[in-house]
Amino acid sequence: MNTRLKKYWYDTRQVKTFRNHHLHAAWFQILFSLLVLSLLIVSGCSRKNDGRIRITIWHQDRPDVRDVLQKQLDRFMVLHPEVKVEQLFKETEELRSGFIIAAIAGQGPEIVYGPSDQVGPFQVMNIILPLDSLFDKKFTDQLDPKALTYYKGHLYKISDKLGNHLTLVYNKKFIKNPPKTDKELIDVATSLTKDTNGDGKIDQYGIAWNYTEPFFFIPFMTGFGGWIMDENYQPTLNTVGTVNGLKFVRDLRDKYKVIPNEADYNIADALFKDGHAAMIINGDWSWAGYQKAGLDIGVAPLPLITSTGLWCGTMVSPKGFSINSNITEEKKKWVIKLIEYLMSEENQLEATKTLYTMPTNKNVINSKFVQSNEILRNSQIQIEHGNPMPVVPELRAIWDAMRPSYQAVLAGSKSPEQAVTDMQMQAVQRIKEMNE
Amino acid sequence: MNQTLRQKIFIFFLVTPALIILLGVVVYPFVYNVIISLSNMNLRHIKDWEIVGFRNYVKVFTEPSQPDFYVIFIKTVIWTIVNLFFHVVIGVFLALVLNQKEIRGKGIFRTILVLPWAVPQLIVALTWRGMFNYEYGSINQILGKVGLPAVEWLRSPTEAFVAAIITNVWLGFPFMMVIALGALQSIPHDLYEAADIDGASWYHKLRTITLPLIKPVMVPAITLGTIWTFNNLNIIWLVSNAGEPSDSTHILVSFVYKAAFNFYRYGYGAALSMIIFFILLIFSVVFMRKTKVTEAVY
Repeated sequence: MNTRLKKYWYDTRQVKTFRNHHLHAAWFQILFSLLVLSLLIVSGCSRKNDGRIRITIWHQDRPDVRDVLQKQLDRFMVLHPEVKVEQLFKETEELRSGFIIAAIAGQGPEIVYGPSDQVGPFQVMNIILPLDSLFDKKFTDQLDPKALTYYKGHLYKISDKLGNHLTLVYNKKFIKNPPKTDKELIDVATSLTKDTNGDGKIDQYGIAWNYTEPFFFIPFMTGFGGWIMDENYQPTLNTVGTVNGLKFVRDLRDKYKVIPNEADYNIADALFKDGHAAMIINGDWSWAGYQKAGLDIGVAPLPLITSTGLWCGTMVSPKGFSINSNITEEKKKWVIKLIEYLMSEENQLEATKTLYTMPTNKNVINSKFVQSNEILRNSQIQIEHGNPMPVVPELRAIWDAMRPSYQAVLAGSKSPEQAVTDMQMQAVQRIKEMNE
Repeated sequence: MNQTLRQKIFIFFLVTPALIILLGVVVYPFVYNVIISLSNMNLRHIKDWEIVGFRNYVKVFTEPSQPDFYVIFIKTVIWTIVNLFFHVVIGVFLALVLNQKEIRGKGIFRTILVLPWAVPQLIVALTWRGMFNYEYGSINQILGKVGLPAVEWLRSPTEAFVAAIITNVWLGFPFMMVIALGALQSIPHDLYEAADIDGASWYHKLRTITLPLIKPVMVPAITLGTIWTFNNLNIIWLVSNAGEPSDSTHILVSFVYKAAFNFYRYGYGAALSMIIFFILLIFSVVFMRKTKVTEAVY
C-alpha cells in the first residue's frame, strides 16, 4: 500500500468512526427520549389503572386539620377499598387560582374544600356543580341551615364547620374575667400593657392582632354600625360606622398605646404565644395551636361598643365541600358518598373534639361536649353576633379597596373621613373593572 | 437514499426532542399569552372570551389605576437599577477580595458568602420582614444600639420599598460574586506580571486588565440579573406583604399578579405582561449592543 492510499484508507476510517460515533449518539438520544416517554406513559397508566376510583380533595387547612381528615379518609377507604382518596394542601390563594386554571382546562380535583367566599367566583366561572339535586333532603335537614351556601338560588357548598370567625382569645394567666365592652377592653388592656424591666420600652401589650388586614377590622366596623355592602352587592364603606371604627383602632395604638406599633399576623401570634400580649383577636383556627403551645386560654366574644350598643360582629363563613363541574358520572356517586361520610355525626364530633371548631350537624351542635365546652359556647355566641361572609365575587374588590386606605390611616397619611371616601370610590371602580 | 437526505434526517432526529420541549414550554404559552392579551378574558368571560383587539394595551397606558401604571413603572426601574448596582458592586468587590492569593480559607468564605443564594427566597423574605419589625426587629435594635432612631420600615411607603431592596441586595450579590470570581480566575496571570514589570498601579491593572477581561462574562450576567430583578415577584410580594402599605410598594410584575389573580382580569394581565416582555427585550438588545459583549476580547 503506497502512502497516498494509506492516507485515504486512514481518512476514510476516521470519517466512518466519526460518523458512527455521532450516529450512535443520535440513536442513543432517540432511544433515551422514547424510554422517558414510555416511562411517563406507563407511570400515568399505572396511576389510573390500579383498578381504584381516584378522588382528590384540595383544601387550605393547617396540619392538625389535615391529620383528622386523613384519619377519616383512611376509614372511608377501609369501608370502600375500591376508592382511593387523596387530600392535597394548597395555600388559600394558590388553591383558588390553581382550581380556576385546572377546572377551566377540564381538569382539577373532584372536591374543593374551603370557606364560602370561593363560591361566588367559582359559580360565575361555572366550575362548580349545583348540589341541590345531588344530596337528599333527609341529609341536608340534619345540618344547621348556615352550613348550606346558596348562590343565585342554588346550593353550591355543604359545610362541616361553621365559623372561620374571629374572637377575643385571652391568656388566663393574666386575665380572669375577659372584657365585655369597649371601655372594659381599654381598661384591661391598659392595665396589662407594661414595661416589666424598666428600660423604657413596653415588654407586654394588653392586646395584639393583625390590625393591618381589613378582615380583622370588620368587628370594629360592625360594632360602630358599619357594613361592607348592601343587598345589591354595592359597597357601603363611606359611613360613620367605618369612620368611627377606624378611629377606635387608631386610638388603641396611638392614644391608649395598648397594641404594638406594628403587628402583622405572625408578630401578633408570636407575642401572644410568648406571653408578651395578654389578649389576641384571632380565629377559631388558632385555638388548638395555642393550647398545644401550653397556654391556658379562654375564648370570649368580642366586646360591645357602648356608644352604639352593638356587639363587634365578625364575618362568619362556613367551610365545606364543593364539587368540580368536570367530574365524571362514575366518580360523582363516590364523591357524594364521601362527602356524606365526612359530614357524618361521628366524624364531625371527632373534628370538634380535636380542633375546637364549630360543627354543622345539629345533633353534634346540641351534644353534651359542645354545650358544656366553654370555648365552643363562647364561639357560638360570637357566631350569633356575626354576619355571614358575602359569597359574591365583589367581596374581593371591596377587600382590596379597603386595604390601602385603612393602612394609610394607620400610617397617619390619611384622615379616617378621607379614607372611607377613597375606599368607597376604589371599591366601585374595582367592581366595575371586574365585571366589564 | 442519498447522503444529503440521510444527513438531514439525522439532524432532524437530533433536533426534534429539544424542539418539541421548546414548542411545549416556550412557544405555546407565549403565543397563548399574546392571544389572551388581545381578548376580553376575565371573571365574566372566562370560557366565552373573544378577541377585542388592543383594548387591554390601551387600558394599561390610559386607565386611571390605583396605583398608577407610570408610577409603578418608575418604581420598577428604580428597583432594578439600585438592586443591580449593589449586586454588581458588592459581587465584584467580594470576588476581587476572594481572588487574592494571600487569603486563607477561601473555600469557607466562598461557601458563607454564597449562602444567601442557597436559602429559599420565601424563607429569606419572611425572615427579613420579621427583622424589619419596628419594635422587635433586629435591624431597629441594632440601630438603637449605635444610637440611631428606629425606622418604621414596614409602615411607610419609602421605607418599605427600601426594606425590600435591602432584602433583594442581600439575596442577589452572591450570584454576581460567583460569576465574577469565575471570570477573574480565567484571566492569564502573565498579563498582571507584564503590567507589574511596566510598573502599573493596582488601580491601573484593575481598569486596564481586570475590568475589560471580566466584561464579556459580567455583561450577560448583568442582563440576566436585570431580567430576574425586573421580574422578581417573590421578594417584593413577601417583604411588603402584597404591596403594603397602601399598595405603595408594587413593581410591574406584582401589579400583573394582582390584576390577573386577585381581580380575575386575565386579558389585562396578559397585555401588561407582554408590555413587560417588550421592555426587557428592548433593554437586552440595546444593552448587549452598546456593551459590545459579543466582540472578542483576546
